[in-house]
Amino acid sequence: MSQVSADSRPKLRAGCRLSQSAQQGDVLLIPEGILRLVGPGKKILECCDGVRNVSEIIRDLQSVFPAVDPARIETEVHTFLERLHQKGVLDIG
Amino acid sequence: MTASGPLSLIAEITHRCPLHCVYCSNPLEMQARQNELPTETWKNLFASASQLGILQLHLTGGEPLARADLADLIAAARQSNLYTNLITSGVGLTEERLAALVAAGLDHIQLSFQDSQEEPANEIAGTRAHALKIELARRIQRQRVAFTMNLVVHRRNLDRLPEMIALAEELAADRLEIAHVQYYGWALRNRDALLPSRSQWERSLEIITAARERLKGRMRVDFVGPDYYAKYPKACMGGWARTVILIDPAGRALPCHAAGVIPGLEFDNIQDHDLRWIWEQSPAFRKFRGEEWMAEPCRSCDRRTQDFGGCRCQAMLLASDAAATDPVCTLSAMHGIVEAIIDPVHEVHAPPPGWVYRIDPVSAV
Repeated sequence: MSQVSADSRPKLRAGCRLSQSAQQGDVLLIPEGILRLVGPGKKILECCDGVRNVSEIIRDLQSVFPAVDPARIETEVHTFLERLHQKGVLDIG
Repeated sequence: MTASGPLSLIAEITHRCPLHCVYCSNPLEMQARQNELPTETWKNLFASASQLGILQLHLTGGEPLARADLADLIAAARQSNLYTNLITSGVGLTEERLAALVAAGLDHIQLSFQDSQEEPANEIAGTRAHALKIELARRIQRQRVAFTMNLVVHRRNLDRLPEMIALAEELAADRLEIAHVQYYGWALRNRDALLPSRSQWERSLEIITAARERLKGRMRVDFVGPDYYAKYPKACMGGWARTVILIDPAGRALPCHAAGVIPGLEFDNIQDHDLRWIWEQSPAFRKFRGEEWMAEPCRSCDRRTQDFGGCRCQAMLLASDAAATDPVCTLSAMHGIVEAIIDPVHEVHAPPPGWVYRIDPVSAV
């Protein structure tokens, strides 16, 4: 069951923030947890400002990565946001 | 074995506490106020921690609010790029002070609850704190900070678990941590009164599994099971000296809260050595790091890379051998010790044994 839709305006919840370290690279720090961000994770989260909706985020990322299959970006963004929402770190507005 | 870097720093900034919980996890011998590290030492430590690759700081106690410099410490931690988590009873946290802590950069506040009902909650805490906590939780909702409600469960409150989960929902917690009492520190003294029956434990697991599914996306529900009913031991601290370093109020560095129960370990002080040296070289940290220390059945067990042999302190407390397989493991030759403890705990009818309350370290001096 998916709750993230094209109209959702995702935003990190309070107490969840991006950070980085020399040892771990890009990470999302959450209550009692550290999520390592690989691939486009950080870029996707930087778009989650609570203003843009998912369709707009996908469109923006498609223009940043013109060489990547647009359908793949769409799938990846949905999967990633859904996973973070289920973990309770993302408000989907 | 070489050490990879730690990720979390647990800072026990004081052992002073207004509560007298019957399952207090602090060591039996606590540090008195006059031994507490000064503000500057903690601040320098946070900077070293960050350089060592630590990402998260857990400010705990005792009751960390007992330190007047708490907002300063949080600001320094944030400046060192650490994620700050405050583990608190909430007693003494006014609206103004809460706002100051959040303004200083506090990311996450973890508020402990003893029960959903006032009378039993106050009985466990040995003080009248429940109503204050409810009031505080409503104030936390109005601040931009992650809020975890921490529930410690045991034989006496486990039957009210659905009520306690409902309270967490009502108080709009972002995260609910339900933790069965672990039998270390003061909890070991009150074990007979706290240990749940097997059917209570099994029922709690069903309730939590259902709640977790229902609350997905709204409230994260984390759960710590009761060791004594486990089939395999927990990966205590994520493995000895693998990811966590704990500093006690006087600056001693320990691999975990309870490590003081293990005879022969000496804990180096951050006033004498730098944090990196302690992590990499201090004998207490090296003692059970990796697998060299393991005996059978751990040594050849496939699970050794998942649970790291379980808890060294529990092996000490139950089997008098810190290098033994954690006796809660059903593969341990000494598992009979645990069975002998849980076998007499059947359904709860008889009045429970009385509590032994712990005394505040300050008034004890």
